[in-house]
Amino acid sequence: MSKRVRRRGAGIVAVATAVAVIASACGAGGRPDENEGGAAEVGVTEDSVKVGAHFPLTGVAAPGYSAIPTGAKAYFDYVNANGGVHGRTIDYVFRDDAYNPTNTSQVVNELVLQDEIFAMVGGLGTPTHSAVLDFLNSNGVPDLFVSSGSLLWDQPEKNPMTFGWQPDYEVEGKIIGQYVKQNFPDAKVGLFLQDDDFGDDGEKGARAYIDDQIVAAERYAPGNTDVAPQIAALQASGADLVIGFNVPSYTALSQLTAMRSNYEPQWIYSNVGSDPALVGSLLGRFSEGKVTDASMLDGAITTEYLPGVDEADNPWTQLWQRIWDEHGGEGDLSNYRIYGMSQAYTFVQALQAAGPEPTREGIVDALEQVGQDLQGPALVPYRYSPDSHAGLSGVKVVQITGTTTKELSPVMVTDNGDAEITEYTEEHAPPPENGIPNVEPVG
Amino acid sequence: MQQFLNVTLGGLSQGAIYAAFALALVLIWRATRIINFAQGSMAMFSTYIALVLIESGQSYWAGFAAALLAGLVLGALIERVVIRPVEGGPELNAVIVTLGLFVAIQALAAILFGASFESFPAPFGLSGFSVGEFTVAFTPFSAFVIGSVVVVMLALVALFRFTDIGLRMRASAFNQEVARLLGVRVGNMLTLGWAFAAVVGSLAGLLIAGGNLVHPAYMDPVIVYGFVAAVLGGLESPAGAVVGGLLIGLALSYVSGYLGSELVTLAALGILVAVLLVRPHGLFSRTTARRV
Repeated sequence: MSKRVRRRGAGIVAVATAVAVIASACGAGGRPDENEGGAAEVGVTEDSVKVGAHFPLTGVAAPGYSAIPTGAKAYFDYVNANGGVHGRTIDYVFRDDAYNPTNTSQVVNELVLQDEIFAMVGGLGTPTHSAVLDFLNSNGVPDLFVSSGSLLWDQPEKNPMTFGWQPDYEVEGKIIGQYVKQNFPDAKVGLFLQDDDFGDDGEKGARAYIDDQIVAAERYAPGNTDVAPQIAALQASGADLVIGFNVPSYTALSQLTAMRSNYEPQWIYSNVGSDPALVGSLLGRFSEGKVTDASMLDGAITTEYLPGVDEADNPWTQLWQRIWDEHGGEGDLSNYRIYGMSQAYTFVQALQAAGPEPTREGIVDALEQVGQDLQGPALVPYRYSPDSHAGLSGVKVVQITGTTTKELSPVMVTDNGDAEITEYTEEHAPPPENGIPNVEPVG
Repeated sequence: MQQFLNVTLGGLSQGAIYAAFALALVLIWRATRIINFAQGSMAMFSTYIALVLIESGQSYWAGFAAALLAGLVLGALIERVVIRPVEGGPELNAVIVTLGLFVAIQALAAILFGASFESFPAPFGLSGFSVGEFTVAFTPFSAFVIGSVVVVMLALVALFRFTDIGLRMRASAFNQEVARLLGVRVGNMLTLGWAFAAVVGSLAGLLIAGGNLVHPAYMDPVIVYGFVAAVLGGLESPAGAVVGGLLIGLALSYVSGYLGSELVTLAALGILVAVLLVRPHGLFSRTTARRV
């Protein structure tokens, strides 16, 4: 039995070898032009470009975030159905890392070495993506539009292939800080922070404006779902305004825990943790236990940099809705899906800029050259340049009312460090008629 | 002062959950001399059964009862089908099998019920009681949790100390051969031990899920701290498990509230090592090592 298996195995190997030899012979003979003068780029064939990403599809960070790749996929499908980019379709592979950095290393290894992707697009998470930062850069894989607002992605000297995308947490913290200083000058501020770069960067930004108002900074370890001690400490410190830099499930947990001790400060949640529809669905079932519905987040303040599902009149939202109806899977369009679509849109812009024969170096150069001028779904411009790989430059402050939001401040932009916060006044351009960007190749 | 009070009360209700879980471990240890690593996964599974029922419109209590019943059946079934073949072999075999079950049941639950977070309702209010102008972090549901744990503990003490079945269970666990000679149907007793332990485990699962978010791995921290609690209590004594659970709950709550949430796991291990150095058989163990 075992002998027969082995012999059959040998047969398969022989056939495979023969096929490989024939295939390579055909390749060499059939298309001499392409294989001479440097092989085609990894992950790029005549009619496709393969890109990859890692997302938490299961586990503590999955609510909300697991919907992002479905949005990106819908947009890529839409582009593919309309002719692709320079005649190539985009082949999008995403894998589950459960928000666990050990898994991230493994799945990114598979994506790069086994799937042979051309670039990473939108890999999610600060702790998770940090684990693969060196690997991607040392292998020369473009690491575009990391789905996290950490400052780590903006180190062009050290990590030349990595680009951020969303407004970083320091920029967001600064704009929230200034808003609090101007509108709640007497508030005693408590911070509710994820205990990693996410919380640290946000705290840094907020402290730049309201250091003297902050009475407590409490950190939770992601994974530990008992946040009662942290909420108790915030309450004891007398904080009547709490700024949270946390993921959505911890927004729900902090609300539940605060309700237990009847703690009702003014809540401000950073953009990533505040989706009212998602948090509402997490809290919704406690109606028997006196929580009513999505209105639990009513009155909480957060920030925005993309038109969301609630703005049904916005031409961008209408575009996303149309694409989701045509190419989406199960479920409704959500802000997380819009986030994924917007990232996919930016990647299509970058790929167009990289020209008809994209290379890994080429797409990085192209982004550095034209990145600042890219017009897209975001309300503010990117900060890409040869010296900066930082993503979007600002946000506006909004208040949650039911499942929609109300503007509290104009769109503000700034940069890291001492850079001033200024109002961004340019009109937000609508999407192109066919929903597909048209960026001229660079050079 | 209010912070101290809230951290203490939070620790007590969290501790009661660890205690409930530790009780299940004590029960299975006394009945079969096995440490069941799959206890948490089994509890998670029956909690999901309750959730499915509640989602389909049944009342909380219908789901509650169904989960306990599911626990009973699941425990007996697993003992008969999976554990029985490795019983009688080296003790480690059964323990490793429970480890395998731990992973397998979690994976199965993810396939059947999905891997995302879902909220689990609570039968009582989730807002704290008001004392004067203060609202303390102690809710009607916390009272229910602590009450249930005390009832289960008393029931276990009664089972092992005053009932015939309890005596037979202990006998079968202690020495199968002798028990068999004395007319105890050892096989049935082992099944019963697993079934009872799974019911208590399911209760722990329901208690921690109430008014909280559940996902297939939500019992993982409880498993770790529940083990620490059971070992602190000496693995033999129901009262020890409860005291161990409350101690761990309080200690971890203080660590998290005053030192930092990242130190919680470290503190749990520190406490375990410290207690075992001073009292190798746990705080409540009466059996001393027999010197030969």
